[in-house]
Amino acid sequence: MSRRAPVITGTGIICAAGCGVAAVWESIRANRSSLGPLTLFSSPRYASHLVGQVHEDVDKLAGNIRGSRSDKLSWIAAQEALAAAGLEAGFGKINPERVGVILGATVGGMLGTEKFLAALLRENKHRFGALRFHECAGAADLCAKQIGALGPVATLSTACSAGAMAILAAAELIEQGEADLMLAGAGDSLSRLTLNGFGSLLLLDPNGCRPFDARRTGISLGEGAAILVIEAEETAVARGAKILARLAGWGASCDAFHATAPQADGRGALAAMQRALERGQLQPSEIDFVSAHGTATPDNDAMETRALKKLFGGAVPPVSSVKRFFGHTLAASGAIKAVLAVQSLREQAVPGTPGFEVADEKLGLEPVKEFRAQPVAHILSNSFGFGGNNVALVFGRADFKSEISNLKSEIHSPVPVRKGFSILGIGAVSAAGNSPAEIATAFSGGVATSAFAVPAISPTAQAKVYAAGEFGAEQFIEPAKLRKLSRLQQLALVAARKSFSPELAKTVAPEKICVAIGTGLGSLNDTAAFVENLILKDERAPRPSLFTSSVHNSLASQIAIELNFSGLNSTPIQRDISFETALWQGATELASGRAELALVGAADELNQYHLAAGMRWGWWHESSPEIRPFAGALKNRERPLPGEGGAVVTLGRAENVASPLAFISAIRIGRSENQNAEAEARWILETLARDGIAVSELDLLLTGANGLAQPDDFYRAIVKSLSKLAGKKIACGAYKHACGEHHSASAFGFLTAVGLLRGEIAPEFCTMDKTALPGACRKVVLFTFSPTGTKGMCCVRA
Amino acid sequence: MESLIQELKTKIIAGFNLEGVTPADINPDEPIFGTGLELDSIDALELVAILESDYGIVITERAVADKAFASLSALAEFVAANRT
Repeated sequence: MSRRAPVITGTGIICAAGCGVAAVWESIRANRSSLGPLTLFSSPRYASHLVGQVHEDVDKLAGNIRGSRSDKLSWIAAQEALAAAGLEAGFGKINPERVGVILGATVGGMLGTEKFLAALLRENKHRFGALRFHECAGAADLCAKQIGALGPVATLSTACSAGAMAILAAAELIEQGEADLMLAGAGDSLSRLTLNGFGSLLLLDPNGCRPFDARRTGISLGEGAAILVIEAEETAVARGAKILARLAGWGASCDAFHATAPQADGRGALAAMQRALERGQLQPSEIDFVSAHGTATPDNDAMETRALKKLFGGAVPPVSSVKRFFGHTLAASGAIKAVLAVQSLREQAVPGTPGFEVADEKLGLEPVKEFRAQPVAHILSNSFGFGGNNVALVFGRADFKSEISNLKSEIHSPVPVRKGFSILGIGAVSAAGNSPAEIATAFSGGVATSAFAVPAISPTAQAKVYAAGEFGAEQFIEPAKLRKLSRLQQLALVAARKSFSPELAKTVAPEKICVAIGTGLGSLNDTAAFVENLILKDERAPRPSLFTSSVHNSLASQIAIELNFSGLNSTPIQRDISFETALWQGATELASGRAELALVGAADELNQYHLAAGMRWGWWHESSPEIRPFAGALKNRERPLPGEGGAVVTLGRAENVASPLAFISAIRIGRSENQNAEAEARWILETLARDGIAVSELDLLLTGANGLAQPDDFYRAIVKSLSKLAGKKIACGAYKHACGEHHSASAFGFLTAVGLLRGEIAPEFCTMDKTALPGACRKVVLFTFSPTGTKGMCCVRA
Repeated sequence: MESLIQELKTKIIAGFNLEGVTPADINPDEPIFGTGLELDSIDALELVAILESDYGIVITERAVADKAFASLSALAEFVAANRT
């Protein structure tokens, strides 16, 4: 039996403490904080605050690449990690299809977006170029392109646990056999948004954070990135790579409690730590050191201490928080801590906790004060994010193998990962309607577009769009809660409620229900409103409620809070395959048995700045034609009309369901370097085959065709190749003419696939040649190819 | 002080979009948050922003806010003493 245990063979890091593992470790050894004044941008409100700013020339270190500061930080760390793993000259014999990238991100290109808004609001200048690298997916796309990775590529945004969540996801992919080598980690730059956001929540300590100290009042923000090369042990050994440490265990949970505050008793954090230990088949007594999340907010440190005491009883191992060294680097935090844990295991020494001086009697926990030598075989590293998105990771010494662990791993059989799952419910909010019946009608009768005001262009400018319109949020959400949710949050929550029958919750424990809701761009309107307010009022009175709804993973976490689901909770943010990535995460939890039910979906909303950029670039105007897939009607620079909406599907493990709507299998994400239709057809065939589905069983390939020659011809050619492989004609279909062009459109495509299988939507409204299928529609593949080359698929069957 | 209490009540009702709540429904001696008004900790922070924009009072520590929001009467006194 092959051992797919994930091991770490390379690490890279950049943060305020320096560039490179050696430089950062030197500051840790010296117990020296690198916090200092903010010079990256001017901030009237926080000019005197200590922050963890990177002072190296990031542009220069990143070399000749284009991207946001976050993207560049990530690439700098990735280069170091690759070199450390002996991969700077390429992957040698490793098949690039077995190489992937999963990164965490929260800030993305906000610095550029802030510049755009400042120029617009202060000087009425249109600097749309500054928006170019806004998307959080930029770093993963960039790293994947630079190294030529053709395996799974994705970005996860679970706030301050995102880096740890990315490492967890990479470990899953390796264990499942989806990849042999992953780059995993995260990068986040400082931004006005996060500085003022945490400020508005009264969570900043201007004088530098004091983790676990009796006088602690909040965090110090920082920036940076850390990337790890994580490989399957068998392939790492085969190529002669030096194993630096093992990723021995990982676990995730959701508090399902509050948007920003942790559950005070620490039960969510405890669950994540327990799951990580279970996964690693470890007893609490085998943990020698805890790298705490330790943000130094009064609530976090109290909650984390309670959770640690519950887990370890009276024998809490030595604990440190490294936050004062270089600040809280948000998404990067868990990844930086992972790199430091690897270093601790190699050096047999642990960091201290600068900033801690006065013990807090109420906590009854004194962290390690200064760097010290200590034998360490296993390190537990915690990361907790807004929304109660908790991730715990356990790192093990490279050469450590306890007899007990060996014995257990032999009887621990690998999980059958790719089984079919049942589709128990679907819910949607879209321009085509909000129920299957409405959507079926819309497909037959056409979907109305509407006008969306774009004052950023001119007082009278309007864009033609596929707007979701009114979706009756008040029927699904109590008024007191409704007023606190952004429109996008409402949209996702309504779709989730529609997809989930409360009956299901009666037989399944809350911790067995996971939620993964993707988004391409997140709550754009609330994010813009928060930043507009900063610019127009010179950072006076920043609005906390707008900040909390700007946090991407509030999409998934508010569903968990509302419905009380405490399983894994995640928000993938990977352009057009955000939904497919969510699907993969949900399916992974179901396949392993950690979840019995998974709510997966995606949602995106229209925003005037996003529209303004497209209008300015001549992509569309008031008289643009509606989307007509495969018609080739768009000219010159025109693009398909934008839309918005969300869809959520409730999935269950196949064996325990009475009357599902349909079944799903062959769930996979990947990346292509170029558009080769034959290669994509083979990828689809191979993905179907490994789940026991013959390509000849396929009736329809449902694609993201949108009326532009570029994707449409490609999709058409893929179907042609597939038909050749199948020895029969497979129909080619589309759905964007009903929902508009947006990052979450494929979630709507999924709903279309289910409607087709159930005979609710007539195939002629979706097929390229507008004809019915020769027989009943029994199997549909939903295939999405994003412009950056990332792709995803699933097979929906009756 | 009574007129300031009334003013704050109006601001809270408008600021938090409390449909159907009248100033008379708010007891000036009860805690503002975590009671019948269904206002939570994020609302408390929103009130911090309102105090800054409307009265020029900058609060940076949660302990200060917690004390000021003990009741509407306490808040009125805090505003009267600290407004700029």
